[in-house]
Amino acid sequence: MSGEYLAFLALALVAIIGGVLMLNLSKVVHMVIALVFTFISIAGLYVLLSAEFVAAVQVLIYSGAITIIMLFGIMLTRHREEDKEKTTTGGFWRKALTAISVFAFGAAVYLGVYQLDFGENAARLHEKNAEQIGTALYSHYIIPFEIISVILLVALVGAIILAKKDDGEAQKK
Amino acid sequence: MERLLNSDPSWTNLAVFFGLGAALLLVVLAFVTYGILAERKVMGFMQGRYGPNQVGGRWGLLQTVADVLKLLLKEDTIPKAADRPLFILAPILAFAPAFMVLATLPFTDAFQFADIGVGLLYYIAVSGLTTIGVVTGGWASNNKYALIGGMRAAAQMISYEIPLVMSVLGVVLLAGSLNLNDIVEAQKNVWYIFIQPIAFIVFFIAAVAELNRTPFDLPEAESELVAGFHVEYSGFRWAFFMLAEYVYLFAIAALTTVLFLGGWHPVMFFDFIPGAVWFALKFSVVVFVLIWFRVTFPRLRADQLMELGWKVLLPVALANVLVTALVKELFF
Repeated sequence: MSGEYLAFLALALVAIIGGVLMLNLSKVVHMVIALVFTFISIAGLYVLLSAEFVAAVQVLIYSGAITIIMLFGIMLTRHREEDKEKTTTGGFWRKALTAISVFAFGAAVYLGVYQLDFGENAARLHEKNAEQIGTALYSHYIIPFEIISVILLVALVGAIILAKKDDGEAQKK
Repeated sequence: MERLLNSDPSWTNLAVFFGLGAALLLVVLAFVTYGILAERKVMGFMQGRYGPNQVGGRWGLLQTVADVLKLLLKEDTIPKAADRPLFILAPILAFAPAFMVLATLPFTDAFQFADIGVGLLYYIAVSGLTTIGVVTGGWASNNKYALIGGMRAAAQMISYEIPLVMSVLGVVLLAGSLNLNDIVEAQKNVWYIFIQPIAFIVFFIAAVAELNRTPFDLPEAESELVAGFHVEYSGFRWAFFMLAEYVYLFAIAALTTVLFLGGWHPVMFFDFIPGAVWFALKFSVVVFVLIWFRVTFPRLRADQLMELGWKVLLPVALANVLVTALVKELFF
């Protein structure tokens, strides 16, 4: 029972509990807070895997993203009707299919994780982590990286166009 | 400290770090106590009055202590319509990151708590978590002023985080590292405030906005929103929000010192004065300038604030990164 194992157990527990709470809570802001705990514990797990750069970026991106999600959750949902009765939809076959696909996905991920082999250089990951990522990204994966930036730009332009359209309609009225 | 950080993990090690952490917390609390007093005194002098001068002698040295005691004894009210669990959780969510960011700041070459390779990124990432606490507090209070304050805090902190990150990129490019120790080491001869003056100005404006201080104190604008996101909080929960704010003041002043003012390096030939004193001097100057800002600037309007962040600071910071990269490629 090493310290790393203890830390892993604690972080994994928090991550899973956060995820379960996120599914089971009824108020949208509560769900978002549960999500915060999941994301931060996942960042902690990255630190345990000596990927400190990824951990810091995870917190950096998601702390902003979660705040936005929370604002949208507050603005776009009706939180007055909380005591609505919960009913599940779908018949027996649909539920059975969902259950089967969930288990199949779980089994696939489990098997995949056990057969995963990163090779030998995982032991040196903690030395100059950010520099290693930079070297790999800009020497071997430069084209996928640039394509991702183009896709993000397209998404951004699309969002602006959608927002502009609403503005024009509002002016007509 | 270096030896301790590299030693094998054990229970003694844990206890030592816990003790050191508690000691740092006490130091920070002492700073907050006297930082608030200094702020009130400086504000008083700048406005032609005395400031606190009754409790604790002529200088009002015990004024903040008395204030904190009053807060401790105050009734802790939770509004009936508030969201109880979140209302209790929010001050903790706001304060914990404020203290966590201190871990990575190098005060002198020997005195620091964690030598993280991505120290600068860690600081910026973790400090962003406080926003969640602020928005949660604003929402959980179930009060429209609090909610508006929370919304403003979220909009402001997200918009100003981007120029903040972009402005420090210039420094990172020149130092070639995200590690705060390496950044200080790279300023042995010239401080970055002289090489990167534009980055420094953008960083400082964005930092004041991240601190929610005047002229960017829209989330708690008392003339518009009563008290902003913490309007329903009282007693010690309110104190936690205030504490988070002043711990960030401490942290951002220390970070400015580290990034732009050469950390613990002495000025010219005055190297017989120890590094810790230099750090404290530079740190105090930054804190003084922040207080000075608060006294002399009027508050911005919400739309001007967004415009300044997105249309002025961000392009300037990006241009600075571009120029820095070009200069580094061509001339070094």
